[in-house]
Amino acid sequence: MNDNLLYIPKIENGIVIDHIPSGEGIKILEIIYSYPELKNVAITFGLNYLSTKFGKKDLIKIQIDYLNPKIIQHVSLVVPGVTIKSIKEFKVYKKIVIQPPDVITNMLECGNPKCITRSEKNLETVFVVTDKVNKRVKCNYCERIFNLNGLKTRIQP
Amino acid sequence: MRKDLISMDDLKIEEIKEFIALAKVVENMPAADRVNYLRGKIMAALFFEPSTRTRLSFEAAMYRLGGNVIGFADTAATSVSKGESFSDTIHTVENYSDIFVIRHHEEGAARLAGEISRLPVVNAGDGSNQHPTQTLLDLFTIEKQFSKVTGLNIAFVGDLKYSRTVHSLLMALMKFGVTDFTFVAPKSLKLPDYFKPADEKYNFYETENLEDVIPTCDVLYMTRIQRERFPDILEYEKVKNSYVIDAKLLENAPEHLKVLHPLPRVNEIAYDVDNTEHAWYFPQAKNGIIMRQAILLKLLGVKL
Repeated sequence: MNDNLLYIPKIENGIVIDHIPSGEGIKILEIIYSYPELKNVAITFGLNYLSTKFGKKDLIKIQIDYLNPKIIQHVSLVVPGVTIKSIKEFKVYKKIVIQPPDVITNMLECGNPKCITRSEKNLETVFVVTDKVNKRVKCNYCERIFNLNGLKTRIQP
Repeated sequence: MRKDLISMDDLKIEEIKEFIALAKVVENMPAADRVNYLRGKIMAALFFEPSTRTRLSFEAAMYRLGGNVIGFADTAATSVSKGESFSDTIHTVENYSDIFVIRHHEEGAARLAGEISRLPVVNAGDGSNQHPTQTLLDLFTIEKQFSKVTGLNIAFVGDLKYSRTVHSLLMALMKFGVTDFTFVAPKSLKLPDYFKPADEKYNFYETENLEDVIPTCDVLYMTRIQRERFPDILEYEKVKNSYVIDAKLLENAPEHLKVLHPLPRVNEIAYDVDNTEHAWYFPQAKNGIIMRQAILLKLLGVKL
């Protein structure tokens, strides 16, 4: 048996989403799969890989040259802190750790059913990050503070 | 200059003090002079949710300053009931007036109005979020009575979950540097955690027992248990008469203790309290119209 088959193969060109906390990879896969532009792209998905940093991690490799910033932002909201690496000719040529922006415009749905953003048509939601460590965000309109993980995204793929 | 008055969160402590100082000027102004300040100005009072005293006191404040008022007290007879969006109502009515006073059941409505309109917007209450004009009049009342705000022991009683006047006042007191708070509420109406900053300097004393706190309080801030905010009416029935103060209960109170209440009251303050030195809710309501005149003058750019 070829030992290499046990590992995720290296990709020549593409995007690697790395340092995904173990078990969270599936959420990112769902996001990726919701975007039509990525429906027919070759994707490899690894669960529970050993990592020196995290103990265990998930890993996703996408054979595409360019990842739409909208998708990256979407991922940053659902699973903040992952690393996105661009690969060219088997080498990492660019690497970023993605965090949600300080002001998140029209990407999250307010969790307060009585917030004006839930009823007023065409009104963009605005959330300000009040606590990066604990991932707390405040709605600009109803002024409620939420945990980022508890909010649904409003992004239309 | 600040265009709108939307949330206590927006105001710096200096601005809050300015409003209080301005209210003191208004209070001492002869009525005959007062009617000249806002002559020819129109205030649009858009009340998407019923209100008596906030609306009437704003209208009276405008008339006392010589201005005029248009608006509605409920949405049944307006184009809102035909399905008009809030933004469209604002864009339309801004052509008819000089300042907005808005009460809405949805939280953030006044903020949105302030963003899309060139006119000054006063938030007269948005859902259970903010009620800054009530807070300013509460602070004015406290400051007038005690000549200070910091260092007082203020206990909040009743519905601390849904009461926007409590939420707004808390936020303001924190700006004044108040760090010790007493909350008296049944379990189901406790102050939500998101109003309690994690900062260690704050001490939040929470109890269900009103008798315990009366002997050590300077101000008892009573609230009505708001039936209209309960998703389940059975839950309301369980807690509606949780806290009732009467003259007998106040026998243990320090002489200087003042009972405040944003009004309307239902059962939470017995009528025999009205005749005691502790009853301060009617003077508080009187301060409301003074503060609201100060707010209108300031937002309409009148220099005194």
